[in-house]
Amino acid sequence: MKIPKIISLVTGVMLAGTAMAQDGEPIKIGVPVGLSGANSVVAPSVVQAAELAVDEINAAGGVLGRPLELVIADDGSGAVGAQKAFDSLVYRDEVDVLISMETSAARNAGMPIVTRGQVPYIYTSFYEGKACSPYLFVNAWVPEQQVPPVVDYLMSEESKTYFLVGSDYAFGRGMLEFARNYIEATGGEVVGEEYLPMDGTDWTSIISQLKSSGADALITSTAGGAPNVTLTKQLRGAGVDLPYANLAVDEGTAKNMGADAKDILISASYITGIDSEENRAFLAAMAEKFGDELRTPNDLSVPQYEAVYLYKAAVEKAGTTDTRAVLDALKDVSFAGPRGVISMSKQHHAPLTMYLGKVMADGSVEVVDAFEAVDPGNQCPNL
Amino acid sequence: MPDLTLTNTVPQSRRVKLLAILAVAAVALVIVGPLFLDRFALNVLTRSMIFAILAITVDLLWGYTGILTFGQAAFFGAGAYVTAMLLTHVGSNPALLALGLVLSIVVPMLIGGAVGWLTFYPGSSDFYATIISLVVPIVITQLIYSGGTWTGSSSGLVGYWGINLGLDGYFRLAGLSLVAIAVAALVFVRSDAGRILTAIRNNEMRCAYLGINTNRIKILLTAILGGVAGFAGYLYANASGVVAPENAGFIFGTELVVWTALGGRGTIVGPVVGAIGIGYLSAQLSGDLPFLWQLLIGTLFVVMIIFLPNGLAALATGFRERARAGTAPRLVAEAPARPHRESDAPLLDIRNLEKSYGSQKVLEDITLSVQPGELVSLVGPNGAGKTTLMRCMTDGAAASGGIVRINGESIAGMVPNQIVARGIGRKFQVASVFESLTVAECLRMARTTLDAPSIVKTSDVLGLPQTAIDILRLSGLDQMLGTSVSLLSHGQKQSLELVMVVSLEPELILLDEPTAGLTKTERTTIGEVLKTLTAECGIAAILVEHDLDFVRDISSRIVVLHQGRLVLDGTVEDVVNDDIVKKIYSGGGHE
Amino acid sequence: MTLILDMLTSAAILFIVATGLLTIFGVLKIINFAHGAWLTVGAYCAVATAHMGLNPWLALPLAFAAGAVLGLLTERFIVRPLYSRPLDAILATWGLGIVIGQLITLWFGRDVQFTANLIPGTVDLLGTTYSAYRLFALVAAIALGLGFSYLMEGTRLGLSARAVIMNETLARALGLDTAKIRTVTFMIGTGLAGLAGVLLTPLTSTDPTMGVAWLVGSFMLVMVAGQSFGALALACLLLGGAQVIVSTYVSPILGGITVAVLAAIILRISPKGFSRA
Repeated sequence: MKIPKIISLVTGVMLAGTAMAQDGEPIKIGVPVGLSGANSVVAPSVVQAAELAVDEINAAGGVLGRPLELVIADDGSGAVGAQKAFDSLVYRDEVDVLISMETSAARNAGMPIVTRGQVPYIYTSFYEGKACSPYLFVNAWVPEQQVPPVVDYLMSEESKTYFLVGSDYAFGRGMLEFARNYIEATGGEVVGEEYLPMDGTDWTSIISQLKSSGADALITSTAGGAPNVTLTKQLRGAGVDLPYANLAVDEGTAKNMGADAKDILISASYITGIDSEENRAFLAAMAEKFGDELRTPNDLSVPQYEAVYLYKAAVEKAGTTDTRAVLDALKDVSFAGPRGVISMSKQHHAPLTMYLGKVMADGSVEVVDAFEAVDPGNQCPNL
Repeated sequence: MPDLTLTNTVPQSRRVKLLAILAVAAVALVIVGPLFLDRFALNVLTRSMIFAILAITVDLLWGYTGILTFGQAAFFGAGAYVTAMLLTHVGSNPALLALGLVLSIVVPMLIGGAVGWLTFYPGSSDFYATIISLVVPIVITQLIYSGGTWTGSSSGLVGYWGINLGLDGYFRLAGLSLVAIAVAALVFVRSDAGRILTAIRNNEMRCAYLGINTNRIKILLTAILGGVAGFAGYLYANASGVVAPENAGFIFGTELVVWTALGGRGTIVGPVVGAIGIGYLSAQLSGDLPFLWQLLIGTLFVVMIIFLPNGLAALATGFRERARAGTAPRLVAEAPARPHRESDAPLLDIRNLEKSYGSQKVLEDITLSVQPGELVSLVGPNGAGKTTLMRCMTDGAAASGGIVRINGESIAGMVPNQIVARGIGRKFQVASVFESLTVAECLRMARTTLDAPSIVKTSDVLGLPQTAIDILRLSGLDQMLGTSVSLLSHGQKQSLELVMVVSLEPELILLDEPTAGLTKTERTTIGEVLKTLTAECGIAAILVEHDLDFVRDISSRIVVLHQGRLVLDGTVEDVVNDDIVKKIYSGGGHE
Repeated sequence: MTLILDMLTSAAILFIVATGLLTIFGVLKIINFAHGAWLTVGAYCAVATAHMGLNPWLALPLAFAAGAVLGLLTERFIVRPLYSRPLDAILATWGLGIVIGQLITLWFGRDVQFTANLIPGTVDLLGTTYSAYRLFALVAAIALGLGFSYLMEGTRLGLSARAVIMNETLARALGLDTAKIRTVTFMIGTGLAGLAGVLLTPLTSTDPTMGVAWLVGSFMLVMVAGQSFGALALACLLLGGAQVIVSTYVSPILGGITVAVLAAIILRISPKGFSRA
């Protein structure tokens, strides 16, 4: 039975901050996130990660003696829902900061409200890049960081010709455009590039073209969740066993897909198998706090966890929650989290350690290679 | 034209006053709203009010005209994207903002016109309109996704400079626009012209046979409401500072229908309340219970559709309908509006007409000619093809072979409203009237093509030909002008339909069993009326009738149909005494 | 060769998905907009079967039964009052679809679910390697089509149903229990939709909104097909084939809207679709 579970999850979230009340007004963190719609698969894990961070910080005395409090709002994974969510967080709840992963459409829809409401916004989702605003900071990866490890690895495995497949949306097109340029710059050749609408379910003709193209390797960047699974199932059904790098699959989905996911290459800034003290402690704390309800931490939830700590560091550095001071401080602070030391120091974006993983037969992801401090490139030259 | 400067009747002026008071109150609320609403409420309400404009367009199409549409979102999206793309790629200054306003209305209107043209054609079905309304948003959304940097693909467009109004300004702009559009819609649907929408929903075929080009009206309506939706899109693109593909998607289109249904279709005010109420509540609650909220809305929607199809506003509407029934216009006799015929050709001339369904021939080699002033009775047993023959005279697509000419002009390829415009009126076997209208409104519907109705007001006079008024008096309907048609007796509906047909000032009337189910007195009345119409007014009539006594009393000529063939055509005497007729009626009477 | 197989199997999958909708529309003249939700219910039956550790093929009868039982309730409480209001029936069933989707979400969660592939691997056919499951889908579609022709032409139920299609008043006058025929037809339609849901699982992801993507396409095909299964097969072959051709030679994005746009055009030219054939 999931019904009481969801209610308890949501109400639990609402109470999380106040349970550990310290002296002073709580500092409110707004989390607009896709509890319903496309992002609802990953949203619960993001909320859990934020809850753990807030609990830990409050248990350790809060920030400037004030407790943190989470305010969650559903953005419906889309622009219209995001406007409602941002409105209610910024104007009704008057949060001090927004920290969340969202679709690009939802983020864009929220930005005018963020600007008018003058609230710092830490965006914790990987995305197609080039979103710039004085109020916006990003601690997840952009194509410049994710694509090169994959292509470099495939090149080293003697793959020279590539077939690119994506969903027809900004992220899918943005990633593959970058991949195409990078492949051509490093001496490879793209022999095909095809897209299906986001809600498309029939990849038949694309797969047939892939098979007849004679490509050495396949790189895909679909929308997360359903299209990704559909494509992989149909690829395996058609007997495609080329080297296959999937730019959009997360570890948990790959694990669930079982045999179909075997040998898929993934590139991420977070993989549960990262061998570090911080990661082990984080996973243990998550397991202890959520027990059976635990959603596997992933490349979207861990940046959320770290972003709460980055905000804490910025407020402490600034000595206030005043927006301008916090925005200044966010450029400089850093936090050593499960993904390593994170600092949003490069034009509001973060250099990251990227991991190249390969899905094993049992669904686990083995780290094939790690690339340290990969630079996000010039995302926002004006900032 | 009658004198229209007379003072309004009391009930109507009270309605106008009530509407004016409501509008002023709404305007006042909108103006002072920003003074006591917080920024959250302002933002949420601004968007909800823009969506409410869309709900009004859905209500006009679906609630009033009966066209179920999911497509208004596409026109809204088109308007919003035109604005956002212009401001993003060209630039932002007052001139461009004005251009954006124009384009955001004109582009969706053009799309709407094209969609309407594609959707509404003679013989199109209600389902087809719904299908197209699904396809349009799917196609527009796909165009947006494929538009790359032009449309921002899935991320939408953001960061352009719209009208610089601030939160309060946008609230007032959206609110005033909503009030203006709602008032315009209310005035229109209560006007004489606005009742045509209800008439189309009630009985589209009757509209066509009153000479009204319903398809043209529906296309026009789709185009205009497309423009209104585009205007809402313009407001939205400016006020929210972002446009996204979901603004144009069919899911949003279905939400508009849900709001309209919950608020109460066919009321204008209901959908406005529905859109604003649900928009505001969902902003308040959905963060807490996203799935339960949608579950609740979905359940409520299903329950409402089944048990309370007219929505929460149904009770209020019922009240208003009763109140409305009191208004009756004054009857005024009008000089004939139709020019007198000049042709020497026979009024109706049928040559070798054939009609077959597959290999089965229903009509074969029918040749018949009718002159002004004749009263021709068409008799024959059931299944002889009488009603089919009537249909072939009023629908240019019905016949399989042969020629039907009216005043020398072939009707091949013409649709009913074009044929009616050439002077043919048709009364159906089962009284075909408008159940949701009053007697006076039905009659005004019949005058639509001769005497264009006002789009802003309800006229307090009803101009009809003298003959029509005479029949009204004979049947007693002149005392029931303000009565809803649904309250009339069977015989009264038959009379009403006859008056409607006569009000068309036809040169030829086709009547399909006008006396079926009537009392003896009613029958005599109708007989007298028909005799007067033909003998004194020079109108020709063709009558399908089973009652041979009745036929004998009134006809100037009788035509006998049997098994799809015309077996006899002669005077009353000729036919009544003919052996063939006796044989047909005794042998093959009612199969 | 691959192209022809792609066209045939795509048509087969569309046919499987649309049959349930056609059954209901053909006899009852009602568009069941909850069709997508029934596909989803069927797919989740496959998930439940997998959870219980049963043979995945058992999901087929289970989904048919679940669809039929839910169909019984739906027909009785939602559709029956709306036979005279077909446009309202579209809306009520659409609302029902929302409700079912949310219930599934509350029960199973929003996540994408996974099921075992019924027939994994590929087959070498006339010199090309082709997905075994897609070939199976072709066989299943043909079996479904033939089975249904038999049901309609060769059984009492089919005869009664056809009587209702042609002239309901007459059928009732002849002593047929038309209300029962409607119920049974609706149950068969929703049962078939459930079945189609299971058959889709090896090709798509299973999540609470998976059905909506198939809804519009099957709606269009059924509108074009009218009442006849032969016409539906023809519509699937033509429109599904066109989709594959457009996807292959022009653009898969245009391919995605091919069925909807072509169906609209066909209906504009010939309002009765293929049903006159």
